[in-house]
Amino acid sequence: MRRCAPLALLLAVLVVVAFPFYWMLLSSFTPREVLFKPPYKLFRLDLSLANYRELLFATEFLTYLRNSLIAAAGAIVLNVIAATLAGYGLTRFAFPGKKGFAFGTLFSYMFPPILMVIPLYILFSALQMRNSYLGLILAHMAISLPLNIWLMWQYFQIVPVSLEEAAWTSGAGRLAALRQVCLPSARPGILSVAIFSFALSWNDFTFAFILQTDRKMFTLPVGLATFVEQTGVHWGMVMAAAVLVSVPTFLLVFFLQRYLLSGLRTAG
Amino acid sequence: MAFKVRLEGVQKTFGRGTRAVLAVRDLSLEIGEREFFTFVGPSGCGKTTTLRMIAGLETPTAGRIWFGDTDVTALPPQQRDIAMVFQDIALFPYMTVRQNIGYPLRIAGLPKAQVEAKVEKVAATLGLTDKLTQKPGQLSGGQQQRVAIGRALIREPKVLLMDEPLSALDARLRVEMRTEILRLHREISSTIIYVTHDQVEAMTMSTRVAVMDQGRALQVAPPRELFARPADVTVATFIGTPAMNIIPATVVETASGLAIELLGRQTPVAPRHHSALQGLKRVDVGIRPQALRLIPAGPDRPAGRVFLREPLGLEDEMLVEVTDGTRVKVVATATEEFPEGAQVGLAFRPSDLYLFVAESKGTICCGID
Repeated sequence: MRRCAPLALLLAVLVVVAFPFYWMLLSSFTPREVLFKPPYKLFRLDLSLANYRELLFATEFLTYLRNSLIAAAGAIVLNVIAATLAGYGLTRFAFPGKKGFAFGTLFSYMFPPILMVIPLYILFSALQMRNSYLGLILAHMAISLPLNIWLMWQYFQIVPVSLEEAAWTSGAGRLAALRQVCLPSARPGILSVAIFSFALSWNDFTFAFILQTDRKMFTLPVGLATFVEQTGVHWGMVMAAAVLVSVPTFLLVFFLQRYLLSGLRTAG
Repeated sequence: MAFKVRLEGVQKTFGRGTRAVLAVRDLSLEIGEREFFTFVGPSGCGKTTTLRMIAGLETPTAGRIWFGDTDVTALPPQQRDIAMVFQDIALFPYMTVRQNIGYPLRIAGLPKAQVEAKVEKVAATLGLTDKLTQKPGQLSGGQQQRVAIGRALIREPKVLLMDEPLSALDARLRVEMRTEILRLHREISSTIIYVTHDQVEAMTMSTRVAVMDQGRALQVAPPRELFARPADVTVATFIGTPAMNIIPATVVETASGLAIELLGRQTPVAPRHHSALQGLKRVDVGIRPQALRLIPAGPDRPAGRVFLREPLGLEDEMLVEVTDGTRVKVVATATEEFPEGAQVGLAFRPSDLYLFVAESKGTICCGID
């Protein structure tokens, strides 16, 4: 009995949390004609792929998907490189202004995207970087990089310096020691950075909406919003799109949650 | 192949301005070829900093470091032909034992087959052959330290630096590894420079020892000499267990010359030491607990009461409170004689007394006979 109580609670929470996802999934497989026709059933077997077919072939979903993937991949790569090097530098070298840099990093993380996007719009207009992948990636990094630097900074603090010193006294140069000894030990931190960068970029609406005015450059969140405005609301298709958008996130978290947790534990 | 390591007025300051800490001050010494040289001292005495400067992991604030005829002061560790064993062992956790030991050779770009052969050989020397495919995390502390030593040895460095390599191990393993390291020193051609806070390690393994305190080398000498002729009170009390008793005493003039008044008794000083005692009234007398003998209390002997008696097996360590309140440590054969509370007399030979200047703590003479 005592064992059942927490289980029941977990189950209740699971139902509350999982139901929207279930409903999204179910709606996405429900044909347009059936979706709003009573009776509304919790379970149905007359599933169809019509919504998905329409989404993939009648809309620009694939363009949006490609844009989102490019932006996310770019954000991941650049964030990992910059945050790793910054974290390494901050833990391994003494330089004036280090404390100020630390606070600056945290401080800049406090700006909400909406506060930064207007200046960025003006800046990128002048640089002709609106409607470019690089511009969007840089904008995403403006939000994610500070936390990533902070994360890697904390992470490198728990990688013992003596490991590198052992490599140096074995004849390895600084870069070789960093690559062969330091980075493998910091791998969970690097994965956290990658995941966080992906999540931020993948979910971003504000930057993409304002900086990417060309339809060809829309990312998924922005593209999805246009579905709502255009044709009335085709809920079945919107749900299908939502399913496809959440799949990568779901897979990522599912397979990497172990690293994600250990990374955040260190930083916290 | 090997060469001399020479420190020349080496100094190291950490921090700046008012918060600057002088870790090593004006250290000059020479370490000979194939020597087993040990820096020993309490924590914070600068011994590890000195070793790290020899390794190239720290840069001296002043002074020069020479390897033979080469000035290595500004050279990074990679260019010094050294290898180092670290206090926290510092094995690469993601590599197997084989990869760990072979790392220095792989870095040097040796062909794979050659690395493999060398790894097998080193592993055999250290009894690690059946552990080669394991990760460091699967090994015991002693095995891990052997892997670390293997990684240091494989390149056959001219100088092998060891920073408290045994402090992470338990007592029994420490004794075992001590023998192992000594055996290695005989087999390899490297100079070993060793750092420890454990004077027993220093005494048992080294050809020469530098006793350090507050950034200075108080004395650099072979172990036996450190024990027999310590340069000052600090060295005298640091070397030997239990620590040497230091008892304040006065120099008195008697009909037959100078004498030391110690524990309520006068002990004559041989004439050859008179000049060194010239003008001194108060001195500190050092006597090792093993040099004191317990005898039945008598009227003309320094007398006291057994305050504490700790059986250690073959010997008992005891604290004797002398009539004037001074407490001295005595190591005596384990007997039922003189239990706690008993009145005893203390006997010693004049040759076992060390005299130190009361203020400067420098040694005046070792033995007053």
